[in-house]
Amino acid sequence: MKKIALVSIAAALLLLTGCSQKRPQIDMTKQQQAEQQVQPSMADSKISAAVSIDDAGVETSQMQDKISAKIAHLEAESKIIYFDFDRYNIKMDQKPRVEYNAELFNSEDAKDLSVKIEGNCDEWGTDEYNYALGLKRAKTVKNALNALGVSNDRMLIVSYGESNPACTEHERECWRKNRRAEFKLLP
Amino acid sequence: MSRFILIILLFISTLFGYDATIEIVKRMDTLPKIAVENSSYSFFDQNINKKFFKLLVGDLKVTSHFIVYEDIAKKEYDSSFLDNTLIDKNVELAIRCKLETDDQKNIIASVKLVNIKNARLLYEKFYKISQKERFPFLAHKITMDINSFIGAEPIEWMQKFVIFAKYTDKRESEIVISDYTLTYQKTIIKGGLNVFPKWANSDQNSFYYTTYNTPIPTLYKFDLFSGNKTKIVSSEGMLVCSDVSKDGSKLLLTMAPNDQPDIYLYDLRSKRKQKLTSYRGIDVNGNFVDDDTRIIFVSDRLGYPNIFAKEIGSRGVEQMVYFGKNNNSCTALGKYIAYSSRESDSEFGPKTFNLYLISTETDYVRQLTATGKNLYPRFADSGTILFIKHYKNQSALGVIRLISNKSYQFPLRVGKIQSIDW
Repeated sequence: MKKIALVSIAAALLLLTGCSQKRPQIDMTKQQQAEQQVQPSMADSKISAAVSIDDAGVETSQMQDKISAKIAHLEAESKIIYFDFDRYNIKMDQKPRVEYNAELFNSEDAKDLSVKIEGNCDEWGTDEYNYALGLKRAKTVKNALNALGVSNDRMLIVSYGESNPACTEHERECWRKNRRAEFKLLP
Repeated sequence: MSRFILIILLFISTLFGYDATIEIVKRMDTLPKIAVENSSYSFFDQNINKKFFKLLVGDLKVTSHFIVYEDIAKKEYDSSFLDNTLIDKNVELAIRCKLETDDQKNIIASVKLVNIKNARLLYEKFYKISQKERFPFLAHKITMDINSFIGAEPIEWMQKFVIFAKYTDKRESEIVISDYTLTYQKTIIKGGLNVFPKWANSDQNSFYYTTYNTPIPTLYKFDLFSGNKTKIVSSEGMLVCSDVSKDGSKLLLTMAPNDQPDIYLYDLRSKRKQKLTSYRGIDVNGNFVDDDTRIIFVSDRLGYPNIFAKEIGSRGVEQMVYFGKNNNSCTALGKYIAYSSRESDSEFGPKTFNLYLISTETDYVRQLTATGKNLYPRFADSGTILFIKHYKNQSALGVIRLISNKSYQFPLRVGKIQSIDW
């Protein structure tokens, strides 16, 4: 193997010196050769850097997948809080659901995540009022969760008025499903 | 002397008995009967032509200043004005109208207004529009001019653009500009949740709207000529531009920087906001009244949504409406307030929302609608209210002409109207 390399270098030198170039060009060629020698090592380092980035990317992506899966699980576990028509107080029958959510959001899996509380309304009424009503619903739930130990710093609220229905039929049962506060967890 | 005192007393009682709402609902004694004649050539776009004449007849009806003879006759534009059939039908006026396109593809409308009784030309006018899809505004402008010619109450609102947001899917909405019949429609903002458009000025060259496509709700101003949008303000929770001052320099916003929906006065020049309400429940839908020195707004401070007023800069709040247990949107013009109120079950259906008109100077209340969900009233002028009507799974733009006590609906084919401005 060494032999082949030496022969190759000798042949290359012969070729280069055989180009009837005198003067320092040969020196330049040497310099180029030297640069060429440097370049592969730089390229190698780039490749290795790229590889290491890819590795990190894979790790990050895996971590994100893990977090996303955890969030999806927690959101599915959380309980939607339902409200009466035109009301934003938490009904007695919804209190256990709020307590359950407080426990869930304070659990080991969720304690590092933020909680976005989304207030929603049914299709009745003017949308401007409904956005305010949705906000009050989210705010009431936020206050209740805070009273149960979920830090205010972790919670943010938003209202979607009637723009985000869970059910689109024009019937009483459907309207009931739409008067709600639901939860999104954020990293 | 006692007779003189009696006359004075009678005068005073008449004065105080006079109801302020009457003056904007008075009816004209006699209405001219008018016919429409189609003089367009057959090679003009017949689809547009058909829609145009239908709109013209509709516009004339909506003015409430004419009795409209609905049979549209085909007439040569330069033929005689003598028409015994129309005379027999007691028609007094006829609009003869011809649509054609010029070399630059502009639509040209030639219009003659004719006195049928003496077969004489009252006037001839020519109109031009460069964008053919805007032909509805041609019909509206022609109607406005005829209305003006007979000296009826102005109907300038007819040629204004309506801007509205419509829901197209969950958390998806579009902002659309249209004429009042929704025949012309142009989508301006699309993608994500963009709601509550509000004209920035009476020239209608820009508007405010709220987007939910940003981390927190953000109010933008959109310039229709340049297509540029400028961020105005953001607020957590919610953000609505409910009204713009007459000079366009101040906004009434409902926002919730501390999770609490209150009404703020936002000065566009200084970029400073002043909190106008501080009730811990819901305060929303602020409207400027009395030369922008006061506001009316919706609040649930009595345990249910109702209409209140307060002077800007003062603490006192005045209840404006004493009827209804769920009055959740309002609009004001001068001393008049129109509001939407939820009814209990009635013969018209379960839990409808109807519009009512009140004067702030008397306790007279006038019901304006009877069926469906009628919401979001907006005064166009003292005799016209625009509103959203939801009826049997359809969403429509409604126009109430107070003068004739008539209401017209223009249904939206796709989507549900979220909010409107005129």
